[in-house]
Amino acid sequence: MSILDVEGLSKSYRQAGGESTLAIENISFQVNEGEFVSLVGPSGCGKTTLLMCMAGLIAPSAGRVVVKAAEVDGPPRNLVLVFQEYNKSLFAWRTVLGNVLFGLEVKGKPAREAEEKASYLIGLVGLDGFERHYPWELSGGMQQRVAIARALAYEPEVLLMDEPFGSVDAMTRLELEDGLLRLWKELGTTILFVTHDIEEAIYLSDRIYVLGRRPSRVIQAVEVRLGRPRNQLTTRADASFMELRNEIYKQTAPRLSSGW
Amino acid sequence: MTWSRESKLNGFLVLLSVMAAWELVSRTEMLNPLFFPPMSKILRSFFSLVFSGEILAQILSSMRRAAAGYLLAALVCIPLGIIMGLFNSVYRALEVVIETARPLPPPVVVPVAMLFFGLGDGMKVFVIFFSCLWPILLNTMDGVRNIDRVLIHTARTFGLSQGRAILKVILPAASPQIMTGLRISLAITLILVVISEMVGSSDGIGYFILDSQRRLKVDQMYAGMLSLALLGYLLNQLFLLFSNTFLSWHRGMLRSDK
Ligand SMILES: Nc1ncnc2c1ncn2[C@@H]1O[C@H](COP(=O)(O)OP(=O)(O)OP(=O)(O)O)[C@@H](O)[C@H]1O
Ligand SMILES: [Mg+2]
Repeated sequence: MSILDVEGLSKSYRQAGGESTLAIENISFQVNEGEFVSLVGPSGCGKTTLLMCMAGLIAPSAGRVVVKAAEVDGPPRNLVLVFQEYNKSLFAWRTVLGNVLFGLEVKGKPAREAEEKASYLIGLVGLDGFERHYPWELSGGMQQRVAIARALAYEPEVLLMDEPFGSVDAMTRLELEDGLLRLWKELGTTILFVTHDIEEAIYLSDRIYVLGRRPSRVIQAVEVRLGRPRNQLTTRADASFMELRNEIYKQTAPRLSSGW
Repeated sequence: MTWSRESKLNGFLVLLSVMAAWELVSRTEMLNPLFFPPMSKILRSFFSLVFSGEILAQILSSMRRAAAGYLLAALVCIPLGIIMGLFNSVYRALEVVIETARPLPPPVVVPVAMLFFGLGDGMKVFVIFFSCLWPILLNTMDGVRNIDRVLIHTARTFGLSQGRAILKVILPAASPQIMTGLRISLAITLILVVISEMVGSSDGIGYFILDSQRRLKVDQMYAGMLSLALLGYLLNQLFLLFSNTFLSWHRGMLRSDK
Protein backbone atom coordinates (compact mmCIF):
# COMPACT_ATOMS: atom_id res chain seq x y z
CA MET A 1 0.00 0.00 0.00
CA SER A 2 1.42 3.36 -0.93
CA ILE A 3 2.06 5.79 1.89
CA LEU A 4 3.58 8.54 -0.26
CA ASP A 5 2.13 9.62 -3.59
CA VAL A 6 3.68 12.33 -5.69
CA GLU A 7 1.33 13.24 -8.52
CA GLY A 8 2.38 15.50 -11.39
CA LEU A 9 4.43 17.75 -9.13
CA SER A 10 5.97 20.90 -10.63
CA LYS A 11 7.69 23.77 -8.95
CA SER A 12 8.98 26.96 -10.48
CA TYR A 13 10.85 29.59 -8.51
CA ARG A 14 10.30 33.24 -9.20
CA GLN A 15 13.61 34.97 -9.64
CA ALA A 16 14.75 38.46 -8.72
CA GLY A 17 14.51 39.60 -12.36
CA GLY A 18 10.89 38.49 -12.59
CA GLU A 19 11.58 35.41 -14.71
CA SER A 20 10.95 32.03 -13.18
CA THR A 21 13.05 28.89 -13.12
CA LEU A 22 11.30 25.60 -13.51
CA ALA A 23 13.06 23.36 -10.99
CA ILE A 24 10.97 20.20 -11.31
CA GLU A 25 8.34 19.39 -13.88
CA ASN A 26 5.54 16.88 -13.67
CA ILE A 27 7.18 14.42 -11.30
CA SER A 28 5.16 11.38 -10.26
CA PHE A 29 6.16 8.41 -8.16
CA GLN A 30 5.06 6.36 -5.19
CA VAL A 31 6.58 4.93 -2.07
CA ASN A 32 4.96 2.01 -0.31
CA GLU A 33 4.59 1.70 3.42
CA GLY A 34 7.77 0.43 5.05
CA GLU A 35 9.87 0.77 1.91
CA PHE A 36 13.34 2.22 1.59
CA VAL A 37 13.39 4.28 -1.60
CA SER A 38 16.20 6.44 -2.95
CA LEU A 39 16.21 9.39 -5.30
CA VAL A 40 19.35 9.98 -7.33
CA GLY A 41 19.98 12.78 -9.76
CA PRO A 42 22.56 15.36 -10.77
CA SER A 43 23.27 18.40 -8.64
CA GLY A 44 20.71 21.16 -9.12
CA CYS A 45 18.08 18.87 -10.63
CA GLY A 46 15.57 19.72 -7.93
CA LYS A 47 15.86 16.98 -5.33
CA THR A 48 15.77 19.38 -2.40
CA THR A 49 12.89 21.26 -4.00
CA LEU A 50 10.98 18.00 -4.31
CA LEU A 51 11.55 17.04 -0.67
CA MET A 52 10.55 20.51 0.56
CA CYS A 53 7.27 20.19 -1.32
CA MET A 54 6.72 16.73 0.11
CA ALA A 55 7.42 17.95 3.63
CA GLY A 56 4.82 20.70 3.19
CA LEU A 57 7.38 23.46 3.67
CA ILE A 58 6.96 25.03 0.23
CA ALA A 59 3.91 24.95 -2.00
CA PRO A 60 4.21 23.26 -5.40
CA SER A 61 3.24 25.20 -8.54
CA ALA A 62 1.23 22.27 -9.83
CA GLY A 63 0.41 18.73 -8.83
CA ARG A 64 0.07 17.37 -5.33
CA VAL A 65 1.61 15.16 -2.69
CA VAL A 66 -0.45 12.69 -0.72
CA VAL A 67 0.85 11.31 2.57
CA LYS A 68 -1.18 8.55 4.21
CA ALA A 69 -4.20 9.37 2.06
CA ALA A 70 -4.15 13.06 3.05
CA GLU A 71 -3.14 15.79 0.63
CA VAL A 72 -0.18 17.79 1.89
CA ASP A 73 -0.87 21.48 2.47
CA GLY A 74 1.39 22.02 5.47
CA PRO A 75 3.93 19.89 7.34
CA PRO A 76 2.25 16.47 7.70
CA ARG A 77 2.23 14.89 11.11
CA ASN A 78 4.65 12.00 11.47
CA LEU A 79 6.80 13.04 8.54
CA VAL A 80 10.22 14.55 9.21
CA LEU A 81 12.73 15.99 6.77
CA VAL A 82 16.47 15.81 7.49
CA PHE A 83 17.82 18.94 5.83
CA GLN A 84 20.75 19.05 3.46
CA GLU A 85 21.95 22.18 5.29
CA TYR A 86 22.36 20.26 8.54
CA ASN A 87 24.59 22.93 10.11
CA LYS A 88 21.85 25.54 9.85
CA SER A 89 19.25 23.10 11.05
CA LEU A 90 20.82 22.27 14.42
CA PHE A 91 19.93 24.29 17.52
CA ALA A 92 23.12 26.11 18.50
CA TRP A 93 21.80 26.73 22.02
CA ARG A 94 21.26 23.06 22.71
CA THR A 95 23.92 20.43 23.31
CA VAL A 96 24.11 17.27 21.22
CA LEU A 97 21.88 15.55 23.77
CA GLY A 98 19.52 18.54 23.83
CA ASN A 99 19.24 18.51 20.06
CA VAL A 100 18.46 14.80 19.93
CA LEU A 101 15.94 15.23 22.76
CA PHE A 102 14.11 17.96 20.86
CA GLY A 103 11.65 15.78 18.99
CA LEU A 104 11.01 13.69 22.07
CA GLU A 105 10.20 16.79 24.11
CA VAL A 106 7.85 17.95 21.39
CA LYS A 107 6.08 14.60 21.57
CA GLY A 108 5.89 14.84 25.35
CA LYS A 109 7.90 11.69 26.09
CA PRO A 110 8.75 11.24 29.79
CA ALA A 111 12.24 12.60 30.52
CA ARG A 112 13.81 9.29 31.62
CA GLU A 113 12.61 7.37 28.61
CA ALA A 114 13.54 10.20 26.25
CA GLU A 115 17.05 10.42 27.61
CA GLU A 116 17.61 6.69 27.25
CA LYS A 117 16.36 6.77 23.68
CA ALA A 118 18.53 9.79 22.85
CA SER A 119 21.64 8.20 24.34
CA TYR A 120 21.03 5.05 22.34
CA LEU A 121 20.78 7.01 19.10
CA ILE A 122 23.80 9.14 19.89
CA GLY A 123 25.71 5.90 20.31
CA LEU A 124 24.30 4.53 17.09
CA VAL A 125 25.61 7.48 15.08
CA GLY A 126 28.97 7.11 16.83
CA LEU A 127 28.92 10.19 19.01
CA ASP A 128 29.14 8.72 22.52
CA GLY A 129 31.05 11.04 24.78
CA PHE A 130 29.89 14.12 22.88
CA GLU A 131 26.48 14.41 24.58
CA ARG A 132 27.42 17.63 26.38
CA HIS A 133 29.10 19.28 23.40
CA TYR A 134 27.49 22.07 21.43
CA PRO A 135 27.01 21.68 17.66
CA TRP A 136 29.61 24.36 16.92
CA GLU A 137 32.18 22.28 18.79
CA LEU A 138 31.76 19.44 16.27
CA SER A 139 33.03 18.79 12.76
CA GLY A 140 30.64 18.97 9.81
CA GLY A 141 30.27 15.21 9.61
CA MET A 142 29.55 14.98 13.33
CA GLN A 143 26.93 17.73 13.06
CA GLN A 144 25.30 15.83 10.25
CA ARG A 145 25.05 12.75 12.44
CA VAL A 146 23.43 14.78 15.23
CA ALA A 147 20.77 15.92 12.76
CA ILE A 148 20.17 12.30 11.73
CA ALA A 149 19.91 11.11 15.34
CA ARG A 150 17.51 13.94 16.13
CA ALA A 151 15.18 12.91 13.31
CA LEU A 152 15.38 9.19 14.14
CA ALA A 153 14.61 9.84 17.81
CA TYR A 154 11.32 11.41 16.77
CA GLU A 155 10.34 8.07 15.19
CA PRO A 156 8.36 9.51 12.31
CA GLU A 157 6.38 7.14 10.12
CA VAL A 158 7.94 8.74 7.06
CA LEU A 159 11.50 10.02 7.02
CA LEU A 160 12.78 12.16 4.16
CA MET A 161 16.57 12.45 4.11
CA ASP A 162 18.36 14.98 1.91
CA GLU A 163 21.92 13.77 1.29
CA PRO A 164 22.33 12.93 4.97
CA PHE A 165 25.80 11.41 4.64
CA GLY A 166 27.25 14.11 2.40
CA SER A 167 29.90 15.33 4.85
CA VAL A 168 30.85 12.02 6.38
CA ASP A 169 34.03 10.12 5.54
CA ALA A 170 33.80 6.86 3.58
CA MET A 171 34.36 4.51 6.53
CA THR A 172 31.89 6.20 8.84
CA ARG A 173 29.48 6.34 5.96
CA LEU A 174 29.41 2.56 5.62
CA GLU A 175 28.73 2.22 9.34
CA LEU A 176 25.97 4.81 9.20
CA GLU A 177 24.36 3.04 6.24
CA ASP A 178 24.15 -0.16 8.26
CA GLY A 179 22.95 1.69 11.36
CA LEU A 180 20.22 3.34 9.34
CA LEU A 181 19.11 0.03 7.84
CA ARG A 182 19.00 -1.56 11.29
CA LEU A 183 16.80 1.25 12.65
CA TRP A 184 14.63 1.23 9.57
CA LYS A 185 13.87 -2.46 10.17
CA GLU A 186 13.42 -1.92 13.89
CA LEU A 187 11.03 1.02 13.60
CA GLY A 188 9.26 0.08 10.39
CA THR A 189 9.72 3.61 9.13
CA THR A 190 9.27 4.48 5.47
CA ILE A 191 12.39 6.20 4.17
CA LEU A 192 12.89 8.38 1.10
CA PHE A 193 16.60 8.96 0.76
CA VAL A 194 18.33 11.46 -1.54
CA THR A 195 21.91 10.80 -2.52
CA HIS A 196 24.44 11.48 -5.28
CA ASP A 197 26.03 8.14 -4.68
CA ILE A 198 24.46 5.51 -6.94
CA GLU A 199 26.09 2.57 -5.14
CA GLU A 200 24.85 3.86 -1.81
CA ALA A 201 21.35 4.07 -3.28
CA ILE A 202 21.54 0.47 -4.49
CA TYR A 203 22.95 -0.81 -1.21
CA LEU A 204 20.20 0.79 0.87
CA SER A 205 17.08 0.67 -1.24
CA ASP A 206 14.17 -1.43 -2.34
CA ARG A 207 13.67 0.90 -5.28
CA ILE A 208 15.52 3.81 -6.88
CA TYR A 209 14.06 6.69 -8.84
CA VAL A 210 16.55 8.31 -11.18
CA LEU A 211 15.94 11.97 -11.98
CA GLY A 212 17.19 13.73 -15.13
CA ARG A 213 18.56 17.22 -15.55
CA ARG A 214 16.52 20.30 -14.70
CA PRO A 215 13.60 20.65 -15.12
CA SER A 216 13.71 17.10 -13.98
CA ARG A 217 11.36 14.20 -14.39
CA VAL A 218 11.72 10.63 -13.27
CA ILE A 219 13.69 9.03 -16.08
CA GLN A 220 13.97 5.58 -14.60
CA ALA A 221 12.56 3.48 -11.79
CA VAL A 222 14.87 0.66 -10.73
CA GLU A 223 13.73 -2.20 -8.53
CA VAL A 224 16.52 -3.50 -6.31
CA ARG A 225 15.96 -7.18 -5.65
CA LEU A 226 18.96 -7.82 -3.43
CA GLY A 227 18.31 -9.86 -0.32
CA ARG A 228 18.29 -8.47 3.18
CA PRO A 229 19.99 -8.10 5.58
CA ARG A 230 22.64 -6.56 3.37
CA ASN A 231 26.33 -6.69 3.93
CA GLN A 232 28.86 -4.09 2.90
CA LEU A 233 31.24 -6.74 1.56
CA THR A 234 29.07 -9.46 0.04
CA THR A 235 26.17 -7.32 -1.18
CA ARG A 236 28.44 -4.89 -2.96
CA ALA A 237 30.30 -7.80 -4.59
CA ASP A 238 27.09 -9.41 -5.79
CA ALA A 239 26.76 -9.75 -9.57
CA SER A 240 23.28 -8.23 -9.61
CA PHE A 241 24.63 -5.24 -7.62
CA MET A 242 27.13 -4.58 -10.43
CA GLU A 243 24.47 -5.04 -13.06
CA LEU A 244 22.17 -2.50 -11.42
CA ARG A 245 25.06 -0.09 -11.08
CA ASN A 246 25.95 -0.33 -14.73
CA GLU A 247 22.35 0.02 -15.78
CA ILE A 248 21.93 3.26 -13.82
CA TYR A 249 25.28 4.66 -14.94
CA LYS A 250 24.35 4.00 -18.55
CA GLN A 251 21.15 6.00 -18.06
CA THR A 252 22.65 8.92 -16.16
CA ALA A 253 26.00 9.21 -17.91
CA PRO A 254 25.83 7.53 -21.32
CA ARG A 255 29.34 8.73 -22.23
CA LEU A 256 30.87 6.53 -19.51
CA SER A 257 30.26 3.34 -21.50
CA SER A 258 32.40 4.51 -24.41
CA GLY A 259 35.47 4.71 -22.14
CA TRP A 260 38.76 6.42 -22.96
CA MET B 1 43.41 35.74 32.30
CA THR B 2 46.65 37.26 33.58
CA TRP B 3 46.28 39.96 31.01
CA SER B 4 42.81 40.83 32.17
CA ARG B 5 43.78 40.75 35.86
CA GLU B 6 46.73 42.96 35.16
CA SER B 7 44.67 45.42 33.17
CA LYS B 8 42.11 45.52 35.96
CA LEU B 9 44.88 46.33 38.43
CA ASN B 10 46.14 49.05 36.12
CA GLY B 11 42.64 50.43 35.80
CA PHE B 12 42.41 50.59 39.57
CA LEU B 13 45.72 52.47 39.78
CA VAL B 14 44.49 54.99 37.21
CA LEU B 15 41.33 55.51 39.24
CA LEU B 16 43.40 56.15 42.38
CA SER B 17 45.57 58.66 40.50
CA VAL B 18 42.50 60.51 39.24
CA MET B 19 41.20 60.72 42.79
CA ALA B 20 44.55 61.95 44.03
CA ALA B 21 44.68 64.57 41.27
CA TRP B 22 41.17 65.64 42.22
CA GLU B 23 42.26 66.09 45.82
CA LEU B 24 45.24 68.14 44.69
CA VAL B 25 43.28 70.39 42.36
CA SER B 26 40.83 71.18 45.13
CA ARG B 27 43.38 71.62 47.95
CA THR B 28 45.57 73.95 45.86
CA GLU B 29 42.39 75.85 44.90
CA MET B 30 43.07 75.52 41.20
CA LEU B 31 39.29 75.08 41.10
CA ASN B 32 37.06 76.73 43.66
CA PRO B 33 36.79 74.18 46.49
CA LEU B 34 33.29 75.42 47.19
CA PHE B 35 32.17 73.91 43.87
CA PHE B 36 34.89 71.31 43.69
CA PRO B 37 35.43 69.92 47.18
CA PRO B 38 38.40 67.63 47.88
CA MET B 39 37.86 63.93 47.22
CA SER B 40 38.43 63.09 50.88
CA LYS B 41 35.51 65.27 51.87
CA ILE B 42 33.28 63.77 49.19
CA LEU B 43 34.14 60.27 50.34
CA ARG B 44 33.48 61.16 53.95
CA SER B 45 30.09 62.52 52.98
CA PHE B 46 29.45 59.47 50.83
CA PHE B 47 30.14 57.03 53.65
CA SER B 48 28.09 58.92 56.17
CA LEU B 49 25.18 58.92 53.70
CA VAL B 50 25.64 55.22 53.16
CA PHE B 51 25.70 54.46 56.87
CA SER B 52 22.72 56.66 57.65
CA GLY B 53 20.77 54.71 55.02
CA GLU B 54 19.87 57.90 53.18
CA ILE B 55 21.57 56.98 49.90
CA LEU B 56 20.07 53.50 49.91
CA ALA B 57 16.58 54.92 50.38
CA GLN B 58 17.03 57.32 47.47
CA ILE B 59 18.46 54.63 45.23
CA LEU B 60 15.62 52.29 46.08
CA SER B 61 13.01 54.85 45.04
CA SER B 62 14.86 55.39 41.78
CA MET B 63 15.27 51.67 41.17
CA ARG B 64 11.58 51.03 41.69
CA ARG B 65 10.71 53.45 38.90
CA ALA B 66 13.52 52.24 36.71
CA ALA B 67 12.53 48.59 37.11
CA ALA B 68 8.87 49.33 36.40
CA GLY B 69 9.59 51.24 33.17
CA TYR B 70 12.30 48.86 32.00
CA LEU B 71 10.40 45.64 32.66
CA LEU B 72 7.25 47.07 31.15
CA ALA B 73 9.19 47.92 28.00
CA ALA B 74 10.68 44.41 27.86
CA LEU B 75 7.30 42.81 28.45
CA VAL B 76 5.68 44.77 25.63
CA CYS B 77 8.54 44.94 23.15
CA ILE B 78 9.86 41.38 23.12
CA PRO B 79 6.49 39.89 22.08
CA LEU B 80 5.78 42.79 19.72
CA GLY B 81 9.26 42.56 18.22
CA ILE B 82 8.78 38.84 17.63
CA ILE B 83 5.47 39.43 15.89
CA MET B 84 7.00 42.17 13.75
CA GLY B 85 9.95 39.94 12.91
CA LEU B 86 7.70 37.05 11.91
CA PHE B 87 5.01 38.88 9.98
CA ASN B 88 6.20 41.25 7.35
CA SER B 89 2.72 42.75 7.09
CA VAL B 90 2.81 43.87 10.72
CA TYR B 91 6.28 45.29 10.21
CA ARG B 92 5.16 47.20 7.10
CA ALA B 93 2.11 48.55 8.91
CA LEU B 94 4.15 49.87 11.84
CA GLU B 95 7.29 50.87 9.98
CA VAL B 96 6.36 54.49 9.29
CA VAL B 97 5.12 55.14 12.83
CA ILE B 98 8.26 53.65 14.29
CA GLU B 99 10.63 55.46 11.98
CA THR B 100 8.89 58.74 12.81
CA ALA B 101 8.77 58.31 16.56
CA ARG B 102 12.15 56.68 17.04
CA PRO B 103 14.46 59.66 16.28
CA LEU B 104 12.76 61.72 19.03
CA PRO B 105 15.24 62.23 21.85
CA PRO B 106 13.54 60.50 24.79
CA PRO B 107 13.58 63.52 27.18
CA VAL B 108 11.21 65.25 24.77
CA VAL B 109 8.35 63.10 26.07
CA VAL B 110 8.81 64.47 29.59
CA PRO B 111 6.41 67.41 29.04
CA VAL B 112 3.84 65.11 27.44
CA ALA B 113 4.13 62.63 30.28
CA MET B 114 3.70 65.48 32.76
CA LEU B 115 0.41 66.44 31.12
CA PHE B 116 -0.94 62.94 31.56
CA PHE B 117 0.64 61.83 34.80
CA GLY B 118 1.56 65.03 36.63
CA LEU B 119 4.81 64.79 38.56
CA GLY B 120 4.15 61.39 40.12
CA ASP B 121 5.74 58.02 39.52
CA GLY B 122 3.56 57.42 36.47
CA MET B 123 5.36 60.18 34.62
CA LYS B 124 8.79 58.74 35.32
CA VAL B 125 7.78 55.19 34.53
CA PHE B 126 6.28 56.33 31.26
CA VAL B 127 9.37 58.32 30.26
CA ILE B 128 11.62 55.32 31.00
CA PHE B 129 9.26 52.98 29.22
CA PHE B 130 9.19 55.18 26.12
CA SER B 131 12.95 55.52 25.93
CA CYS B 132 13.56 51.79 26.45
CA LEU B 133 11.09 50.80 23.76
CA TRP B 134 13.22 51.21 20.70
CA PRO B 135 16.39 49.27 21.40
CA ILE B 136 14.41 46.28 22.67
CA LEU B 137 11.81 46.40 19.93
CA LEU B 138 14.19 46.89 17.03
CA ASN B 139 16.80 44.40 18.21
CA THR B 140 14.18 41.72 18.86
CA MET B 141 12.65 42.30 15.45
CA ASP B 142 16.03 42.19 13.75
CA GLY B 143 17.05 39.07 15.64
CA VAL B 144 13.91 37.27 14.54
CA ARG B 145 14.17 38.43 10.92
CA ASN B 146 17.73 37.15 10.74
CA ILE B 147 16.90 33.62 11.83
CA ASP B 148 17.81 31.22 9.05
CA ARG B 149 14.87 29.79 7.13
CA VAL B 150 16.21 26.27 7.65
CA LEU B 151 15.78 26.68 11.41
CA ILE B 152 12.15 27.70 11.00
CA HIS B 153 11.62 24.80 8.59
CA THR B 154 13.14 22.48 11.18
CA ALA B 155 10.63 23.61 13.79
CA ARG B 156 7.81 23.09 11.31
CA THR B 157 8.88 19.64 10.15
CA PHE B 158 8.94 18.48 13.78
CA GLY B 159 5.29 19.47 13.90
CA LEU B 160 5.57 22.49 16.18
CA SER B 161 2.64 24.87 16.22
CA GLN B 162 3.46 28.53 15.70
CA GLY B 163 3.20 29.19 19.42
CA ARG B 164 5.55 26.40 20.44
CA ALA B 165 7.94 27.26 17.63
CA ILE B 166 8.20 30.77 19.05
CA LEU B 167 9.00 29.48 22.53
CA LYS B 168 11.29 26.61 21.59
CA VAL B 169 13.09 27.88 18.50
CA ILE B 170 12.52 31.53 17.64
CA LEU B 171 13.02 33.01 21.09
CA PRO B 172 16.27 31.15 21.83
CA ALA B 173 17.59 31.74 18.31
CA ALA B 174 16.99 35.48 18.62
CA SER B 175 18.05 35.69 22.27
CA PRO B 176 21.58 37.07 21.66
CA GLN B 177 20.18 40.07 19.84
CA ILE B 178 17.31 40.51 22.27
CA MET B 179 19.92 40.62 25.01
CA THR B 180 21.79 43.35 23.13
CA GLY B 181 18.62 45.43 23.07
CA LEU B 182 18.05 44.85 26.78
CA ARG B 183 21.58 45.94 27.55
CA ILE B 184 21.35 49.18 25.58
CA SER B 185 18.04 49.94 27.25
CA LEU B 186 19.52 49.37 30.68
CA ALA B 187 21.96 52.22 30.15
CA ILE B 188 19.18 54.45 28.81
CA THR B 189 17.03 53.66 31.84
CA LEU B 190 19.63 55.08 34.18
CA ILE B 191 19.84 58.31 32.20
CA LEU B 192 16.10 58.79 32.04
CA VAL B 193 15.37 58.00 35.66
CA VAL B 194 17.77 60.77 36.69
CA ILE B 195 16.40 63.27 34.18
CA SER B 196 12.80 62.60 35.14
CA GLU B 197 13.60 62.90 38.84
CA MET B 198 15.38 66.19 38.28
CA VAL B 199 12.36 67.59 36.46
CA GLY B 200 9.99 66.93 39.29
CA SER B 201 10.22 64.65 42.28
CA SER B 202 10.57 64.59 46.03
CA ASP B 203 12.83 61.58 46.24
CA GLY B 204 15.15 59.41 44.17
CA ILE B 205 18.82 59.79 43.42
CA GLY B 206 18.26 62.35 40.63
CA TYR B 207 16.23 64.51 43.00
CA PHE B 208 18.85 64.08 45.74
CA ILE B 209 21.69 65.30 43.51
CA LEU B 210 19.80 68.36 42.29
CA ASP B 211 18.46 69.15 45.76
CA SER B 212 21.91 68.94 47.32
CA GLN B 213 23.22 71.35 44.69
CA ARG B 214 20.37 73.80 45.35
CA ARG B 215 21.06 73.76 49.06
CA LEU B 216 24.78 74.16 48.33
CA LYS B 217 25.64 70.84 49.97
CA VAL B 218 28.13 70.34 47.21
CA ASP B 219 29.99 67.41 48.76
CA GLN B 220 26.65 65.59 49.08
CA MET B 221 25.91 66.34 45.44
CA TYR B 222 29.17 64.71 44.42
CA ALA B 223 28.53 61.81 46.79
CA GLY B 224 25.20 61.27 45.03
CA MET B 225 26.96 61.24 41.68
CA LEU B 226 29.47 58.75 43.02
CA SER B 227 26.74 56.42 44.21
CA LEU B 228 25.05 56.71 40.82
CA ALA B 229 28.27 55.72 39.08
CA LEU B 230 28.64 52.73 41.41
CA LEU B 231 25.04 51.76 40.80
CA GLY B 232 25.52 51.87 37.04
CA TYR B 233 28.63 49.75 37.31
CA LEU B 234 26.89 47.24 39.53
CA LEU B 235 23.84 46.94 37.29
CA ASN B 236 26.00 46.40 34.25
CA GLN B 237 27.99 43.69 36.02
CA LEU B 238 24.80 41.99 37.13
CA PHE B 239 23.49 42.12 33.60
CA LEU B 240 26.69 40.65 32.21
CA LEU B 241 26.56 37.85 34.77
CA PHE B 242 22.98 37.09 33.77
CA SER B 243 23.61 37.19 30.03
CA ASN B 244 26.86 35.21 30.27
CA THR B 245 25.13 32.38 32.07
CA PHE B 246 22.14 32.53 29.82
CA LEU B 247 24.07 32.91 26.57
CA SER B 248 27.19 30.90 27.32
CA TRP B 249 26.50 28.87 24.15
CA HIS B 250 26.57 32.02 22.07
CA ARG B 251 29.86 33.28 23.48
CA GLY B 252 31.39 29.89 22.81
CA MET B 253 30.01 29.91 19.29
CA LEU B 254 31.44 33.34 18.52
CA ARG B 255 34.83 32.25 19.81
CA SER B 256 34.73 29.11 17.64
CA ASP B 257 34.00 31.17 14.48
CA LYS B 258 31.26 28.85 13.23
N1 LIG C 1 14.81 29.43 -3.23
C1 LIG C 1 15.10 29.33 -4.54
N2 LIG C 1 14.89 30.38 -5.37
C2 LIG C 1 15.16 30.29 -6.68
N3 LIG C 1 15.65 29.18 -7.28
C3 LIG C 1 15.88 28.11 -6.52
C4 LIG C 1 15.63 28.12 -5.11
N4 LIG C 1 15.98 26.92 -4.59
C5 LIG C 1 16.42 26.19 -5.64
N5 LIG C 1 16.36 26.88 -6.79
C6 LIG C 1 16.73 26.40 -8.13
O1 LIG C 1 16.05 25.21 -8.35
C7 LIG C 1 16.90 24.23 -8.93
C8 LIG C 1 16.89 22.98 -8.10
O2 LIG C 1 17.47 23.24 -6.83
P1 LIG C 1 17.55 22.13 -5.70
O3 LIG C 1 18.19 22.74 -4.52
O4 LIG C 1 16.22 21.54 -5.52
O5 LIG C 1 18.54 21.07 -6.39
P2 LIG C 1 19.18 19.73 -5.79
O6 LIG C 1 18.85 18.64 -6.72
O7 LIG C 1 18.79 19.55 -4.38
O8 LIG C 1 20.74 20.03 -5.91
P3 LIG C 1 21.94 19.46 -4.99
O9 LIG C 1 22.12 18.03 -5.34
O10 LIG C 1 23.12 20.28 -5.42
O11 LIG C 1 21.55 19.68 -3.58
C9 LIG C 1 18.26 24.86 -9.06
O12 LIG C 1 18.44 25.23 -10.41
C10 LIG C 1 18.20 26.09 -8.19
O13 LIG C 1 18.92 27.14 -8.78
MG1 LIG D 1 19.77 19.54 -2.65
